[in-house]
Amino acid sequence: MIAAAQAGRFDDLPLYDRAIETMPREELRALQLAKLKEQVAYTYQKVEHYRHLMDQMGVTPDDIRTLDDIRKLPFTDKSTLRDTYPYGLFAVDLDDIIELHASSGTTGTPIVVGYTRADMDVWSDCIARLVQMAGVVPGDIAQMAFGYGMFTGGFGLHYGLQKLGCAMIPAGSGNTERHIKMIEDYGTTVLIATPSYAMHICEVGEQMGYDWEASSLRVGLFGGEPCPPALKAELERRMHIVCTDNYGLTEVMGPGVSGECLAQRFQQHIAEDHFLAEVVDPVTGEPVAEDQVGELVLTPLDKQGIPVLRYRTHDLTRLTTEPCVCGRTHARMDKVRSRSDDMLIIRGTNVFPSQIEDVLAGIDEVTPHYHIIVETKDGMDALTVETELRPEKMSDSFEQMERMRRTIADKLKGTLLVGVNVRLVEPGGIQRTTGKAKHIDDLRQR
Amino acid sequence: MTVSQLSIFAESKPGHLARVLGVFEGAQVNVRGFSLADTGEYGITRFIVDKPAAAAEALAREGFAYIETQVVCMKLDDEPGQLARVVAVLGKADLNIVYSYSMISTYIIIGTDDAERARCLLAEAGFSLVTQADIARASAERLSAQG
Repeated sequence: MIAAAQAGRFDDLPLYDRAIETMPREELRALQLAKLKEQVAYTYQKVEHYRHLMDQMGVTPDDIRTLDDIRKLPFTDKSTLRDTYPYGLFAVDLDDIIELHASSGTTGTPIVVGYTRADMDVWSDCIARLVQMAGVVPGDIAQMAFGYGMFTGGFGLHYGLQKLGCAMIPAGSGNTERHIKMIEDYGTTVLIATPSYAMHICEVGEQMGYDWEASSLRVGLFGGEPCPPALKAELERRMHIVCTDNYGLTEVMGPGVSGECLAQRFQQHIAEDHFLAEVVDPVTGEPVAEDQVGELVLTPLDKQGIPVLRYRTHDLTRLTTEPCVCGRTHARMDKVRSRSDDMLIIRGTNVFPSQIEDVLAGIDEVTPHYHIIVETKDGMDALTVETELRPEKMSDSFEQMERMRRTIADKLKGTLLVGVNVRLVEPGGIQRTTGKAKHIDDLRQR
Repeated sequence: MTVSQLSIFAESKPGHLARVLGVFEGAQVNVRGFSLADTGEYGITRFIVDKPAAAAEALAREGFAYIETQVVCMKLDDEPGQLARVVAVLGKADLNIVYSYSMISTYIIIGTDDAERARCLLAEAGFSLVTQADIARASAERLSAQG
């Protein structure tokens, strides 16, 4: 299957739900509109928070006549879910909820979401679709290296992979050596992990002398954190697998909102029959043109448990509806490389971690791993980027090492337009994590 | 004959040297001389060992950034003016000493941009040069004396 994709024979690839995934765009939009009308009416009727807001704005469900009319509706922010914690936004009785999940709470109070049986069906359907798109086939043996628990990634992928017909190995995160032994003993073909944990598994395997090339492992499914292209390429090369990453967030469902097909390695198809996607200016909230970068706003179209409207993801991306060679008609979003809220303002200049990733990816002497430290020095913002020296690039001469360090600093400055102190650290010196990789320490005095 | 030196990248943080030495101990490698140099943020630690190949293999296995380079090692007579003679020879030939450290009292390591040329110059000037085999032998002799 992957060989077919690499040879560009996308007609040979199976689709999980051909009728939906290749639906002509006009039909798809009609389906979206029909679902949106129902969903807005349902939400208005069932959720006090939205009814109150829409009444205040003078909007009724009958005002939704076209897809663009969604702009009449209020946005939802993470704070809304926090303020109504735990059950304030639930649209059904708890009797109808069959599973609860919570966000990882990396940025504040946790939020909790509930799924009805119908929600779970949609969710596992979305996952089955995206893993098939990523090269997984029924009969694959899939090993979970996400933590299970309240995080949506673990169970979300678990149910979807089972729905497609895979055998699940619910190993969970941690105990890396055991993961490698399981891959070897059980003949695992699919690994589900955060990209940074996959790299850790790769490195530990190499240290143990495990032969990734001879391994049964074929596909890597990544999520939980952004996957820098250079990291993906490195994992593909070192583990001899095809890696894709998928996108989603707890507030609208979990993983399964969008996923990468094997034809477009830097974009992800959105499950548009289940989600209406908008891209807006993060400051004004006004829509931006197709192909323009802005903040992704998502409205689930058939969610029963928590039917959020116009959820502000803070993730920056752009959409295209150009036909894809894989045959799918659903819009593609660029992989999320940065968030409107992890933009750093350094001495008045906007800096995104993804820019640093891109520069480091083009430098042979260092690995794609990095860590950003922002401090106040003499009353000014000071930006330090820690980057790992590749073992084979070591020199016996301080002069050469310093030249390397200055070259990296100059390249970063050329892109970021602010001065950067580069600190070289030893191989493996940047922390790999099993959850969201922590790339930034902002230690500035406010 | 020049000798092998292992230069290892070192972040300036506690425990790094202990980790390197632990790797050497695990590989039964005996350190015969070393030097630590530091920029404040990172450093280069340089080692002369009895079994450079085994040491290099162990470092690679543990993921260290290191490089094996050639340096000159000579044994000086323990009297005034000897080190001055060494630097004079190289200075006169316009060969820059990038770093230098002593191994065992009068065993002096010198790193230059051209180890082979430095070796020839110093040999011609009558210095007693130490080879890799000498270093290994010194280690082995000490062991058998203990044995």
